[in-house]
Amino acid sequence: MIKIKNIEKTYIKASVLTPVLCGITLSIQRGEYVAIMGTSGTGKSTLMNIIGCLDKPTSGQLELDGIDVYKLDDDTPSSLRNNKIGFVFQQFFLLERTTALDNVLLPFIYADKYPADAIQRAKKTLANVGLEDRTEYLANELSGGQQQRVAIARALINDPDVILADEPTGNLDSTSTAEILEIFNRLNKEGRTIVVVTHDRAVAEHAQRILELKDGLITENGTNPNTENSDIH
Amino acid sequence: MKITKTIALSYKILTAHKLRTALCISSMTIGVAAVVVMVSMGRGAQKRVLDMIHDMGTNLIVVNAGHVTLVGGRERQSAIVTSLRPEDADAILDHCTSVIEVAPETSRKMNVEWESENLMTEIVGISPAAFRIRNIEIKTGSNFDSIENDTGKRVAIVGSVIVEKLFNGENPVGYRIRIGNAPFDVVGVMKAKGVDANGVDRDDRVLIPIKTAMLRLVRTTFIQKIHIQVADSEQLERAETEIRDLLRERHRLRDKPDDFTIQNQATLVQTERESARILTLLIGSVAAISLIVGGIGILAVMLTASRERRREIGLRRAIGARRRDIRTQFLLESLIIACLGGFSGTVLGILSNFLASKLGGWTALQSWDVTGAGLALSAIIGLIFGIYPASKASKLEPIEALRTE
Ligand SMILES: Nc1ncnc2c1ncn2[C@@H]1O[C@H](COP(=O)(O)OP(=O)(O)O)[C@@H](O)[C@H]1O
Ligand SMILES: [Mg+2]
Repeated sequence: MIKIKNIEKTYIKASVLTPVLCGITLSIQRGEYVAIMGTSGTGKSTLMNIIGCLDKPTSGQLELDGIDVYKLDDDTPSSLRNNKIGFVFQQFFLLERTTALDNVLLPFIYADKYPADAIQRAKKTLANVGLEDRTEYLANELSGGQQQRVAIARALINDPDVILADEPTGNLDSTSTAEILEIFNRLNKEGRTIVVVTHDRAVAEHAQRILELKDGLITENGTNPNTENSDIH
Repeated sequence: MKITKTIALSYKILTAHKLRTALCISSMTIGVAAVVVMVSMGRGAQKRVLDMIHDMGTNLIVVNAGHVTLVGGRERQSAIVTSLRPEDADAILDHCTSVIEVAPETSRKMNVEWESENLMTEIVGISPAAFRIRNIEIKTGSNFDSIENDTGKRVAIVGSVIVEKLFNGENPVGYRIRIGNAPFDVVGVMKAKGVDANGVDRDDRVLIPIKTAMLRLVRTTFIQKIHIQVADSEQLERAETEIRDLLRERHRLRDKPDDFTIQNQATLVQTERESARILTLLIGSVAAISLIVGGIGILAVMLTASRERRREIGLRRAIGARRRDIRTQFLLESLIIACLGGFSGTVLGILSNFLASKLGGWTALQSWDVTGAGLALSAIIGLIFGIYPASKASKLEPIEALRTE
């Protein structure tokens, strides 16, 4: 499903080179629930952005669903982001003063075809994250946990192959964190591929597979012995 | 990207930022309103010049006795000059081939009496040809003919101001008035002409046959003016030369300067035409500036927006927007603002034109092509000033946009 090979990323700022990723090779299968762990500043977000085609690696290959992403033209990453990837960010990134429903509908605007049943689908997806009674609320009228659930609904709306979540619980209290992690568990049980980036071991523990990012390299911790759903793959 | 969905989205975003949108639309509104009002005023000024030419009569040359100087843009005839005579007019008609009609004129301010009312007004002695040459139209009654002129009949045609002031608005045709001490019969009323370029009210006068004036009122052998009609406008120059040569010879001037002044219509309307042209130019540039100001408003707002909305742009890119989708969206927002501004500006402009001509007495010639052009122009302004912020927004790298605090 996701294959990356020898990915390197070096930031250049004011002629100072910061090597962040130093040759990462890894593959993630369909249906997996993977956590990428590491302390702050190790390059987890950088890695996730590269997997999600938001950022280009300095060198290396990325293959999504058999598509060699950087072999193709500039529009390919956009269309991949639209229909194969669903992003969830720490800061939610909802459009303020815009309803939950309109936020969830947003990815359809950039899809090849705007579905006729868009609103029903958006409402159903919002119901799926427990927000059926909040569809007409403006983003800024919702709590942090609710906003993140709207963001998850938005990530799900185009039925993506993978959900990429970067510190999804970083801005949330423990109750909301539990709700979000519960949703990820459920989505994964329904067969959704999930990659969560976190510095928080408690969050990573929910995944079947935990990868440790350190000094620009990945250390595989193998299958998480704590999860009962490790039999999925 | 679905264009209708994007328009709906842009609309939602614009309504979400009401103050910003309102400011932007109003700057555009004022720009477009200025264009509509100013262009209409420019057209009004030009129309006034054309009306003036029409009022004056076409292909006209005026010979004035003595020197006519412009004082504060208005004609002033120097003192009383005795050099011009009715025979000069006849000679011009006879000898100048390009001249088709002549109308000598003499005038003097005199007292006019009717019953117990009396007033001072300009008594103008004209020949019947003047009615044709100078487009003098009769509203009621009739004008006088050359027989009445030649026999020195005491008939008078009055202007509308006289009708109001002397006759209290009654139809004076058939009434007998006294000019100086001589009785005159009112035979007609002139159609109102208004104030001329020299600030003279052309309705505050009484017309009488020139022969009558010279024989019975002013009792002189000289006249003040000759109005001359030339066959066509191409011959104005030549006619002027012919007339000058003829008059110099008749007045035996040899090496003395002219004792008359010749003005042709081209020079008469030239100042007016020039000022109308300058007005239009000035108006055009002010209008253009106000439109550009409106455009810069859009530019500023959209640039601020693209800075403020970096995270939104990043998010949109993250969920699949291509660079050109971002560009289209920003451009559409500018366009919507500009068009709304253009529309309300047009309405405001039309309203102002209406008020200006109703209350201020300005001549604002409202025309639909200007209105259409105003609308089209605002759309173009929206595009021009929207392109830069839009392309700037689209060039933003998605992760950088998302990283914005
Ligand atoms: N645009 C950038 N320019 C320069 N350095 C950057 C840039 N983005 C990230 N970095 C650096 O790369 C490192 C990894 O960043 P990041 O991927 O955000 O880490 P994490 O998500 O693990 O906290 C950090 O040291 C950060 O300072
Ligand atoms: Mg991070």
